[in-house]
Amino acid sequence: MKAFKRILLLGGAVAAMAGGAAQQAQAQKADQITVAITEGITGNNPYADSVVLIGSIWCQVYGCLTRWDFETGKFVPFLAESLEPEDDLNWILTLRSDWKRHNGEPVVAADVVHSIDRSRNDPESMSQASVQYIEKAEILDERRLRITTTQKMATLPNYLATMQVTSKKIYDQHGAKAADREYPFGAGPYRLVEVGIGSHIVIERVDDHPMVEPTNPKRIIYRMMAEPEQRVTALANGEIQIAQGIPPQLVGRVQQLPNATAEMVDSAEAMFIAMSPKTKPWDDSKVRQAVCHAINREGIARAILGNQVTLLNGPVGEGQFGFDPGYVSPIDYNPEKARKLLEEAGAVGAAVDLYSPVGRYIADRQIAEAVIPMLEDVGFKATLQTPEWGTLWTNVQRGETPFYYMGRGNMLDPSPALAQYFETDASPRLKYSNPQVDALLQAERQEFDPEKRIAMLSKAMAAITEDAPACFLWLHKLSWGVAKGVDYKPSKADRVNGWEIHLR
Amino acid sequence: MLGYTLRRVAGTIPVLFMVSLLIFALVQFAPGDPVDMLVSDEATEEVRLAIRSAWGLDQPVYVQYLTFLKNAVMGDFGQSFRYREPVMDLILQRLPASLELAIYSTLLAVGIGLPLGVWAASRPNSFIDTIGSIGGFFGISLPNFWLGILLILLFAGTFNLLPSGGRETWGLNVERVTGFLTIDSIIAGRWDALWDALRHLALPVVVLGTNMTGIIMQITRASVLENLQEDYVMTARAKGMSGRVVLWRHAFRNALIAVITIIGLEFGTLISGAIIVETVFAWPGIGYLLLQGISFRDFPLITGLVLVYTTMFVLINLAIDMIYTVVDPRIRLG
Repeated sequence: MKAFKRILLLGGAVAAMAGGAAQQAQAQKADQITVAITEGITGNNPYADSVVLIGSIWCQVYGCLTRWDFETGKFVPFLAESLEPEDDLNWILTLRSDWKRHNGEPVVAADVVHSIDRSRNDPESMSQASVQYIEKAEILDERRLRITTTQKMATLPNYLATMQVTSKKIYDQHGAKAADREYPFGAGPYRLVEVGIGSHIVIERVDDHPMVEPTNPKRIIYRMMAEPEQRVTALANGEIQIAQGIPPQLVGRVQQLPNATAEMVDSAEAMFIAMSPKTKPWDDSKVRQAVCHAINREGIARAILGNQVTLLNGPVGEGQFGFDPGYVSPIDYNPEKARKLLEEAGAVGAAVDLYSPVGRYIADRQIAEAVIPMLEDVGFKATLQTPEWGTLWTNVQRGETPFYYMGRGNMLDPSPALAQYFETDASPRLKYSNPQVDALLQAERQEFDPEKRIAMLSKAMAAITEDAPACFLWLHKLSWGVAKGVDYKPSKADRVNGWEIHLR
Repeated sequence: MLGYTLRRVAGTIPVLFMVSLLIFALVQFAPGDPVDMLVSDEATEEVRLAIRSAWGLDQPVYVQYLTFLKNAVMGDFGQSFRYREPVMDLILQRLPASLELAIYSTLLAVGIGLPLGVWAASRPNSFIDTIGSIGGFFGISLPNFWLGILLILLFAGTFNLLPSGGRETWGLNVERVTGFLTIDSIIAGRWDALWDALRHLALPVVVLGTNMTGIIMQITRASVLENLQEDYVMTARAKGMSGRVVLWRHAFRNALIAVITIIGLEFGTLISGAIIVETVFAWPGIGYLLLQGISFRDFPLITGLVLVYTTMFVLINLAIDMIYTVVDPRIRLG
């Protein structure tokens, strides 16, 4: 009995110490927050990561030239004071004079030219796409440069939003590796403290930076947590203050937490089912339309996704550039019409393989499993294929997968994504060709008047939706767990910027 | 002994060569293209070709292999496609985390499984034996993923006693000497950091150790039981030796060969097979690194890690052989 009591006492003491330590650890974090993210950082090179959220962290450190303003729905200057077209192919970029790098040096035009060069030529870069339409950049004076595009390009600010501006002087003095690791002096509102490859990145507020306020967190730790259960538990016990990617089945649990709440926001990633018209039976638009009419999106949204989606009438939703609130898509859920279209096309009983990733997108496999009987119901002989992501992605990129469920992110301004998927020969992943769509997309890219661009984009998107090389399904509502005491409204862009977070 | 050791170490060279050839062939012929993971979604074909050339992926496969082999001999497994760091550096950064986890899990499993197995064997078919056997099978059968999530929910969530994952609280800044956080904390005299490291270790060690505890308990029980039925045990008892002496000095010692073999093999499995536990607990070890390598078709990382795993298995087997000679002096190596 004495031994039993001793064990009890010891257990109690250990529990008290553990609990005390947990509270102590939390108390130390009064001026800092930890954000649980779902993908780890790949290293110190700001050009070497294609994950949107990681790119946005680098923009906080180095500063990017432009950024998307959700209030105005436009790209606005960030490190650039202005970015104005000079003529069809030339833009004049003027840098701010009041922002300095963290080592006190100014951001100069040579840094922008250097950053364009690194984006394009650094062997580790994954940012080549952001400069692919830039022919050249020439320095006009210390703060101004002329950017020449390869074609008339109204969407240049869109491309420059993801390009971090690193220092040419530091690069020339120390080389790429040392510059990125030992001298990461940006002009953003946060400075880099530590990178743990694959696990975490820590940034610290630059107190005298014009973009920050005293209520912004002093320090932000972005910590990789792959498991959703772990993210929710860590939010509940105060280990983290913001959790990315709460899956629909855990949203209720977060909402019931006494110390946190779930914040929802539409993503900027369109989810769709693609059909390559170069492959039978998808060469017939009636067969493609039959697929779109067969899918009960409302049913899937209700039964599988807990209604945590916004259904799409086309490639984009509200808040994205080119969205037309007055447009009503003729592609509704109508199995009867789907059967009729299939009969007219002579494709009843057509064998089709639907490819879906597993674990890449929210409930992707379950959604694809639900689509199969819907297709069978209207007369397809459908089979589900779920190869591992690396295999599926390679085959999609090569145009070897004719029928697949997929998402396309980074569509705040959908112009590049629409061109990539729906313009003739733009990429092999869909092999779609429609002269009307080609003409509209090429024209909108060259149109500097936003109103006219929106009109052309809307027309192009309506034509795509009705010809149905893809069935546009929904934008997932991204759920974020946010601790009470932290003011943070997540944005469509899947970014967690320190200046948008306020501690109470 | 020295000659034997040298021969065994030399014997690993053809093993490593064959493994490197096999793994290189497997990753080359596996579906998927690493270039798709190396460039952005919006990259043009010219950009893709430039990346292919920059990473040497446009070379014939045999040239790529020979280049890899030449560098691997010097301990250079190339550059990771995903992390853009030398593979060896990445492995060395993360190996201590996996080793520390595996060592504490093994200590836990041996500390519980061994005495429980001997105890159960000394009282066959008793209540203790039945409970021990059921517990052992339970430990073997529990899926790591399920147990990990359950413990996170209980001890990090409901009771809020332990952290939900990770290896340390950021900001403690313990100087790295060995890479083992518990040891480095002691060296630095940082008891707060030691406590923090132990708290982070607790849940993953229990999850990883549970399965091994069951296996060690079952093997020890069976092996000791078998030895207790041998003639020499009866002789010892006839000589008037106490039950405890017969059990521990004779039966247990003779049973140790099988138990050590299992502990060694399981230890190797713990290092290489902690992928799920490292993922669930966001543990920055080489198991999770391998998972990332496979997902991103990071050929140099996959090949480098498999070679390191193979080397560790060979070394563990060598260590087991040497321990045999200590446990049973009749065994001669050579």
